Amino acid sequence: MEEYLDFVTIDFWTMVFTWLNFIILFLLLRHFLFKPVNRILSKRAEEIENTYKIAETAQQDAELAREKYENRLNEAKTEADGIIQSAVSRARERSDSIISEAQENARHISEKSQKQIELDRQNAMKEARQDIAGMAVDVAEKLISERLDSSADEKLIESIIDQI
Amino acid sequence: MNGPKVIFTIPIFSGIKVTESIVNMWIIMAALTAVSVWLTHGLRVRNPSKKQLALEKLVTMLESLVKDTMGEGYISFAPYIGTLFIISIIGSLSSLLGMRPYTGDLSVILAWAIISFVLIQASGIKAHGILGYFKSFTAPAAFITPLNIISEIASPVSMTFRHFGNIAAGLVITSLVYGGLASLSAAVLSWIPNDFIAAIPFLQIGLPAVLSVYFDLFTSFLQAYIICMLTMVFIQMKAE
Repeated sequence: MEEYLDFVTIDFWTMVFTWLNFIILFLLLRHFLFKPVNRILSKRAEEIENTYKIAETAQQDAELAREKYENRLNEAKTEADGIIQSAVSRARERSDSIISEAQENARHISEKSQKQIELDRQNAMKEARQDIAGMAVDVAEKLISERLDSSADEKLIESIIDQI
Repeated sequence: MNGPKVIFTIPIFSGIKVTESIVNMWIIMAALTAVSVWLTHGLRVRNPSKKQLALEKLVTMLESLVKDTMGEGYISFAPYIGTLFIISIIGSLSSLLGMRPYTGDLSVILAWAIISFVLIQASGIKAHGILGYFKSFTAPAAFITPLNIISEIASPVSMTFRHFGNIAAGLVITSLVYGGLASLSAAVLSWIPNDFIAAIPFLQIGLPAVLSVYFDLFTSFLQAYIICMLTMVFIQMKAE
């Protein structure tokens, strides 16, 4: 014989079982459904946050590296400019010194040659004088040996001197 | 029209009758737990499967519903509201599988409504303190107190009868329609001499499905939604 409860009735034990069932199902669903899903959702949110952070740091690092690189490039450029300039100035100094040296040399040489010329000239004069003296002696000897009259002598002497 | 069938009796306290409502609930609880375990098996942070995406969408929807209705601080109520919604809608929908829906059992709905009632009062006590909670019954004037108490008790009662009434009415109407269609088929087939063929309730094929769309699908969803909504709104209102 099947037993039924009334269609509209409040059965205490059914309520007790319903409460127990509800609490059990609540705990089961919370443990097996809501918690795992929420854990995954929060984990994902966390991971996205971390990814953003990493991307930001990477960008900052890249920016820093770029700045550093640019600075170094500028440094290298100024250094190269400095090297070129110093090389140019050194070359200019060197050329100036070479030129002035050459001028000094030239001046030296010309002075020396002038001195030499002067010396030569003096020597030549000396020699000439000696020669003239010699010639004068010769003339005198000739005069003496030929014993010419005085007018003839004078003319002769004059002509000799003219010859010199 | 019968109430829930008594499946077995536990022989203590002059016999605890375990009805088909409770047994069906156990079956559904086991199924829900199994489905939950299957759904949350192998969840991944990256490259979630379609199953996981759907599950996440559902849980997020539930949480945003709780958040929108009750506010940010009540998010811890989401599992309770979710459990209430799931056990209510699946219980009502179990009639599609030929089970007697336990949501058509007044005791079951009343038990749920009492849980909600306790939570509603607890949230009032938590928000205003014991004194503030009792004082709130005398607002706006002391002579209103009996009315306030009645209105407080009325909310779980109305929740219970709304949910129970809708599902039970569906049960009654569906069984009336099935009975009526059976007699109509018998009347139509009465000229057939063969008793077996004459007894085939052919009109029961197809026609009740139209009713089922309303009483099983629509009402099941609506009543589960309403009981959850009312619980959330009452908890939130009581805390204000």
